[in-house]
Amino acid sequence: MVASPDVAMSVSYDPLQVALSVVIAVASSYAALDLAGRVASTRGNVRATWLACGACSMGAGIWAMHFVGMLAFHLPVPIFYYWPTTIGALLIAIFAAAAALHLVSLKRMGVRYAVISGCILGCGVAALHYLGMDAMRAAATYQLRPGVVAAAVALGVVFAIGGMWLGYYFKGEPKGTQWIRLGSALCMGAAISGMHYTGMASAVFTASPPSDLAHTVHISSLGTVGIAIVILMLLGTTIAACAVGRGFDARASRLEVSEALLEFTHVTRLTVMGELTASIAHEIRQPLAAIVTNANYSLRELSTATPNIQEVREAIREIVQDGDRMSSIISRIRKLLRKESSEQMELEINEVLQEVIDLLRNELEQSSIKLTLELGDALPRICGDRVQLQQAIMNVVLNGIEALRSIPRERRQLLIRSMRNSDLVVIEVMDTGRGIDAPTAERLFEPFFTSKPHGMGLGLSISRSIVESHGGELSYHPIPQGALFRFSLPAENESSSG
Amino acid sequence: MIFVIDDDPSVRRSIKRLLGSVGLHVEALGAPKEFLSAEHPNVPSCLILDVRLPGISGLELQRELSERNLQIPIIFITSYGDIPMSVRAMKAGAVEFLPKPFRDQELLDAVQVALQRDKIRRQQEAEITLLRERVESLTPREREILPLVVSGLLNKQIAAIIGASEGTVKVHRSQLIRKMKAHSLAELVRMTEKMGIGSALR
Repeated sequence: MVASPDVAMSVSYDPLQVALSVVIAVASSYAALDLAGRVASTRGNVRATWLACGACSMGAGIWAMHFVGMLAFHLPVPIFYYWPTTIGALLIAIFAAAAALHLVSLKRMGVRYAVISGCILGCGVAALHYLGMDAMRAAATYQLRPGVVAAAVALGVVFAIGGMWLGYYFKGEPKGTQWIRLGSALCMGAAISGMHYTGMASAVFTASPPSDLAHTVHISSLGTVGIAIVILMLLGTTIAACAVGRGFDARASRLEVSEALLEFTHVTRLTVMGELTASIAHEIRQPLAAIVTNANYSLRELSTATPNIQEVREAIREIVQDGDRMSSIISRIRKLLRKESSEQMELEINEVLQEVIDLLRNELEQSSIKLTLELGDALPRICGDRVQLQQAIMNVVLNGIEALRSIPRERRQLLIRSMRNSDLVVIEVMDTGRGIDAPTAERLFEPFFTSKPHGMGLGLSISRSIVESHGGELSYHPIPQGALFRFSLPAENESSSG
Repeated sequence: MIFVIDDDPSVRRSIKRLLGSVGLHVEALGAPKEFLSAEHPNVPSCLILDVRLPGISGLELQRELSERNLQIPIIFITSYGDIPMSVRAMKAGAVEFLPKPFRDQELLDAVQVALQRDKIRRQQEAEITLLRERVESLTPREREILPLVVSGLLNKQIAAIIGASEGTVKVHRSQLIRKMKAHSLAELVRMTEKMGIGSALR
């Protein structure tokens, strides 16, 4: 069976094992792409953990692919492997994978980083490959053909760059990328396998005296299957872990978003109410003061010898009136403060407006603002959430009031009107303030954009999102003297509006 | 005479009713400008003023009244009980600062204090007017020696200062005391102190 030293030995491949190695390559590529996304979308310790696990499973995958590929390779002599070198090859693979994963998951990752990480990964795979070949101990020796070696390394690097770029491209983890990711994993796996088998082809084996077999192992076919199963399980676990992690993230962020939105509108409503607390206290204390004074008067009068019953009756009648007034103020505030999910109902826009104005009336009077109301007749109803719409309108009106405070009292005017425009119900809020300069107007509805020293910059952005969630539009229109905000809301069908 | 300025009709009606029941004459107004254009009879008066009013605020009215030298004790009532505001009001001479809703007795007590204060001020003012009239009735020479007399100088010293005989000064002095209706030098001194003219003439 010993061949002559100068003649190249005949080599053969076991097709089943070749197929197995390709499967491992594709699986480890898929895991790598998956992991790049995971690593990129996490931070801190979590990121480090993903990076470490990812590097281990990806490195192990590439390593396993190599050795399964080596086992598919048959020489006419038995092949042993020097295990320290084999372990070294595994470590190289893991380090290369770690470096590549780290680079590919950086925020500022661009083409440059893809090239660098691709080079690292490609060279790592090449190093693993040739180190793995170096671990071979058999009654054979090999010589490398430099041209084919270079081609193999180049192949590895180029495909690794491509793979890294794909990893970067998918790191945002948009929906529906699984199929694309699988496709690119197939490409990358094919590339790794291609690199391996090109690398193998670069070696010409010739017979030689048997080498030192100390610290070597022989891997049987059973061992191959074992390695393959373990590695595939490892990769499977990695991919499953990625999927679970992604699921958690997605669900957590969905929950957070909807809860945050509810909390958020509640908070801004409270903020608006906070701005109004002085007004609210005033509104409640006014009738309360009248009630207490009238009641005290009545007690005094009734304890005199000749009480003026007529006047006492009048005082008590006013107490009842002021009591009613207080309770309506309180229910108005409660309605506005109540934290509840959206409640859709048919609304009369003029009623909605009137309630907002009632709440703001004191604010308007304090600032000596002349309010003109032009409410349209027989407007169609709209469908929506009363509280949300009131908040949207209130934010805009409060802005108007604030704008008017910076101009002389006698020029402070606010016009609020409602009208119909074909199948839209339109509300316009117009103030005679200084208006809004063009750069500010452009960013008016951006969240957290504010021109006020203590503003949160949320009022108008919330107003707009509320109006848009009602299928309407909120827009700003510059006018020669002041500012005009227009709400357009779709009208309910005539038939359904009683 | 009590003026009540509050933009809330219920509030001002109830205050008017309460104060009216204890026999006070009350004028209830809705805005400061009504007060400025109202009749101000020459009787002890006070003003019950809401801090926040449409147009011009209570505090602004207080400032404007003092600028116009319209002296009337002010009781502030407010539904915005904020401390800096009350401090400012009290510093500017308010009698009381009552957060709404207030107890009837608090308001009645404050009104009594305010009316008493206004009464005393009016008495003092009347007295000063009277004294001023008496000073007016003096001859230039008598007016010249008035501060010298009240500063405790002897006739001889005054004579030396104004360049007249001691006898002449003595005549002027007795005329002066008679016209001022003072019974003693000590009383004359108090009179000039009240008018605050002792030092001004010196």
